[in-house]
Parts: sequence; structure tokens; C-alpha cells
Amino acid sequence: MARREKRYAIAIDAKKCVDCKACVVACRAENDVPVEYSRPWINEDHRGDWPRLMLAFEPEQCHHCDDPACVRVCPTGASYQRADGIVAIKQSDCVGCRYCVIACPYEARFFREDKGVVEKCDLCSARVDRGEVPACVETCPSKVRVFGDLNEPKGRLAELLATRQYKIKKAEAGTGPQLYYLL
Amino acid sequence: MHHPTWGFLIVNYLFLGGLSAGLFFVSGVATLFYQQGKEGNARMARLAALLAPWPVAIGCTLLIFDLGKWYRFYKLFLHLRVVSPMSIGTWLLLLFTAISLLYLYSWLTADERALLIAKVPERLAFVRRFDRDLTPHRKKLAAIGVPLSLGVGIYTGVLLGAVQSRPFWNTNLVAQLFLISALSTGCAAVMLVLVLRGEMTREEMRTLFAADVLLMLLECLIVTPYLLHGELSVESVRQSLTLILGGPYTWAFWIGFVVLGLVIPLAVEARELKLSLAVGPAHASRVLTAVTAALVLVGGFMLRYIFVFAGQASSFK
Repeated sequence: MARREKRYAIAIDAKKCVDCKACVVACRAENDVPVEYSRPWINEDHRGDWPRLMLAFEPEQCHHCDDPACVRVCPTGASYQRADGIVAIKQSDCVGCRYCVIACPYEARFFREDKGVVEKCDLCSARVDRGEVPACVETCPSKVRVFGDLNEPKGRLAELLATRQYKIKKAEAGTGPQLYYLL
Repeated sequence: MHHPTWGFLIVNYLFLGGLSAGLFFVSGVATLFYQQGKEGNARMARLAALLAPWPVAIGCTLLIFDLGKWYRFYKLFLHLRVVSPMSIGTWLLLLFTAISLLYLYSWLTADERALLIAKVPERLAFVRRFDRDLTPHRKKLAAIGVPLSLGVGIYTGVLLGAVQSRPFWNTNLVAQLFLISALSTGCAAVMLVLVLRGEMTREEMRTLFAADVLLMLLECLIVTPYLLHGELSVESVRQSLTLILGGPYTWAFWIGFVVLGLVIPLAVEARELKLSLAVGPAHASRVLTAVTAALVLVGGFMLRYIFVFAGQASSFK
């Protein structure tokens, strides 16, 4: 991949997540998403029986992959990737074939039955363009998400990724995911 | 996945697109290899040519109405994205349908054309000026159309196989399987129509059965490594195969596709082929032949049903 001037991404410190769903609600409000749908979501993992048990939450959303399968399969080019790495949909070009929904390894896209088009997280690109952070990042009370530019060496995101261990999900799908889970 | 993103409209379309590709292939090959005096080939070619454009036309209509915004379908033709199988497929379908309609026209007799032209309303009289005798161009159209039909046949499989996030699909074998199955359903459709009209000759039987037996053997040689290699592959692939090895699509796959759609027709057709090669009655039974041809079509449909639904249910864990 050619080096980008900016490369926006999110790091997630899932241990801090308390499943309050503020991110989901803030996203719906910001992006006008009805309650039946959701761009970010929270995975739940629980194991064992009392008193030996665990419960863990893990927020997830579009991974804004470097080599996004959804963009590749789109027949009209409605799905595209911005120069700063954000994967978005030009809704007026979406024909609603839903090929991208199937192609995404993370199930991060959904088909809006009411609108007839596909929708997904675009990292609140309008906010980002104004110099703000995405709504899910801003609203999180326990500061689970850290948004930033991977190519900004002095930034908080780069610092976290340089000093903490992290994992990415389903790397074997080969799409170059850019949602970093801090360990 | 909670509910499948692609449903029965897509299954039907994949089947119909493949069927048209198969019909054109049968007709095109019969035309290209037509030898003077072999009347059977010409009849078969004409029949398949008259049938070929319609399934894909219906299929494309289904495809358009499956879109979330059907009236935006024209946008598909404003782009050619070579990395998107669907984009390539859209153009292939357009070219293939156009060629197969021209090809159909080239098979109409002068009388049939006159009848058709007479039906054009007065307001659209200008259309009549486009009436041409395409008979001399038949072979050229077949030569252009056969590669296109192979393209459409294989594209229906590539559409699924090129999705890296669905381990059930993501092997090159799916494209081959869909192509061979498409050609086989084309043969079966010609067989079915000929036998229902009670006019299949020994020569036609020989050609069609030989082709279909060969195609179904090839299908067996694709399905077997699909399963074996899948079982020897990584976790996500093995996991996805449980969908047809004990999971929800097991019966559909083994009974619907393998037994009814592949093994039984293969056995019957191999026997019919043997009979048609020998001196003696041309048919073991006409009903049996019709049922067998119908089973091949059912098998082709089941294959697409299983792959569309099971594939969407498979994913990396």
C-alpha cells in the first residue's frame, strides 16, 4: 500500500468496556440510524458458572481495512476508500445489491430495508473533516476507544500501538483490518 | 448471520443464468461442428437456440428486482470495475443476452421472421428496417456466443467463489462446479424438451447423453476434491463444510444434489448412452429419460440453493 498522508484508525481497550452502549446510541443520533440498525455493536463473551465465571465485552465496528473486500466487490464504486483510509459508501451510487454485506468478514455492514441501500460506520467522516473525533469515541464514558492518525508519530494512537500489545481480528481474511484491540 | 442477505431470487437467477449459458453452449457447439447431412445436430441447435435467451432474461429481471433500489440498475452499466465479479458479470450478461437474441433470430426461418415482423405495430414501423436475414452469420454469432456463454456460466460461480470472507465459497472449485453444472443443465433442458415432444432421435440421444455423462463425471471430479481438500484445509474451511456434513444443508446436499441430481441421472444416462450406441431400442423408457433430465435440472437448482445459503452462513471465527 502506498503510504498515506493520514491514516485514521481506532484502538479499542476492551477491558474498559462496561456495555453501557453509549457508543451505539451516540452513533445512531449522530448518523440518523434507526433503532433496528446499528453501526457499532458490542460483543459479549461469558463463561463458567458462579462463582467461577467471567464476563467480557468487546465493542466492534467497521475495521476500515487497508484492502477492503467490500470496496473491491462493489459493482458501481459506491463503496470507496478515502485517501485517509476511511471506508465509506456514496449512498446515491448504491444500488442495494448487498454484495458488500456478504463480502465483509466482520459483518460490519447492513442493508437498510427502509432506504434500499447499504450502510456502515464511516468513522463519522463529517466530524473528522471538521477536526472532531467520531461520536462513539467522544461519548464513551470509560474511554474505551482512542481515535487518531496512525501516521502522526506523536499522537496518542501511535503511542498506544508502540507501547502496548494489541491484536487485530480475523487477519486471515486478508483485508488488512485497522481496528486495534489493546491487550 | 441472522438471516441470509441473498435469498431465493438470487438462487433462481444463478440457476437461470447457468441454464441459458448451457443452452447456448449446446446450440453453439452443435452449430460450429455441424456437418452436412447430420440433421439431428441442426434440429438440436435450433431448439437450444430458441430456448437460450429466455431463462437469462427472466433471471436478469429477478436480479434487478432483488436490488434495494431497482431503478438504479442503470448505474451498473455506468461502471466497469474489473476487480468486482458482479461488475464483470453485469457486462457479460448484457453482451450474452444480446448475442443470444441475435443468434435466436439467425435461427428463425424466413416465414417466422415475416410473422414476427408483421406483429410489429404501425407506430414502431421503423423497427422493420432492422429485419435482416442473419442465417449466414449463424456460425459467427455462435463463435462469439460460446465464449460468452462459458463466461456467464463460470461467472455465476466466481460471484460466490471470489468472496474471501466466506470459506464455503472461497475456492476456485466453486466456479468450475457452477460452470460444468450450467452446461449439464443446458444439455438436460434440450433432452427434456426433445423427449417430451417425442422426437428425440438416436443420434441426438447419443450426442446429448455422451455430453451430459461427461459433464456429470466432471462434476463428480470437482465435488470430490471440494470435500476432500476442504477437510484437509484450515479450521474455518472445515467448519464451513459441517454445513453440508451434518449441518442444516446435509440432506439438501447429499440427497437433493448428490443422489438425485448427480448419481442417479449419471447412472441412467450412462445406461441410455450404452443403449443408444448398441443396435436395439433407442430408449430404455421415454418417461425415464424425461425424469432423468428433470432430475439434472433439479440437481442444478439444488446446487445453487445450497451454495447460496450455506456460503452465507459460513465465516471466519
